[in-house]
Amino acid sequence: MRTSLFIVIILLSGCSAGIVHGLVNLAIVEPYLDRAIGIENQHMFASGEAKDTPQFWVEYYSYRAWQKGGQLLAGAILGTSIGALYGIVFGYARNILPGNSFIKKTLVLAAIMWVVLYLIPFAKYPSNPPTVGDPETIILRQTLYVLFIAISGFGALGFYQVYKRLKSRKMIAFIGYAGLMGMAFALMPQNPDAITAPMDLINGFRAVSLVGVSSFWLSVGLILGVLWQKLQPDKVKQSKFQ
Amino acid sequence: MSFSKEITLSKSSVPKVALLVLATIFAFGVFEVGFDQGQLFSIVFGEQAYADMYLHELTHDMRHAAGFPCH
Repeated sequence: MRTSLFIVIILLSGCSAGIVHGLVNLAIVEPYLDRAIGIENQHMFASGEAKDTPQFWVEYYSYRAWQKGGQLLAGAILGTSIGALYGIVFGYARNILPGNSFIKKTLVLAAIMWVVLYLIPFAKYPSNPPTVGDPETIILRQTLYVLFIAISGFGALGFYQVYKRLKSRKMIAFIGYAGLMGMAFALMPQNPDAITAPMDLINGFRAVSLVGVSSFWLSVGLILGVLWQKLQPDKVKQSKFQ
Repeated sequence: MSFSKEITLSKSSVPKVALLVLATIFAFGVFEVGFDQGQLFSIVFGEQAYADMYLHELTHDMRHAAGFPCH
């Protein structure tokens, strides 16, 4: 394995896919965020926490510009970091993944990690726009979210080991993973925050957020697959002298 | 008589250095975008970082959009 090339193509594919994610968010998620933050503003005016003055709106548009600009930078950082994890897993799993080309293998792994690390946790703890989260419960919500992802991720790894050791009836491994996640669904507490925002806003936000994250996993799979196929960092040339 | 030939090998293991670098980047990046509430900048700016939350605000929209809990 050529270590530097291996690291570079993994970081490059993650970063590029993260920027794609940021662009998708700017196009389809931002309108929902603007609407949700608009509701927050109305609540602040009603409660007297803020006043509807020109000065307020100058500051509002200034920090919203900062937040929107951050979509691309945060997308690049998050994409690079999730891509790093994806690359580690691909490094170990590439010879056992199905597919007759690296592009098919990277896409299969991206699909598996999308389901295990995002889709299943999303079903239990779906994304929420601003106006929903209570600052008092942030530590609890972060803990629950990370714990659920960890159960799903390590559960998938554990049941893959079971899958490898089974000579027949390999379906048992899938049933075992489904059972584990079913228990986690049933036993772990719900998001404690009440939803007071309109449900069309919440559901619309969740749908576009799902599209955005899915665009990341599709992109990272495609980009890493193309780069790996072209550059093959695991191929090392050795000279033999006889 | 001696001659040389070149062969191509496919190594299946992940180098430990790569593992360390990538795992560090993963942990740092996910914390920064998904969880930071001023902790990173507090190393330099102290308690004020928790009030300003520059990084939190910069990553705010992506944090919501990517599904991380916020606020």
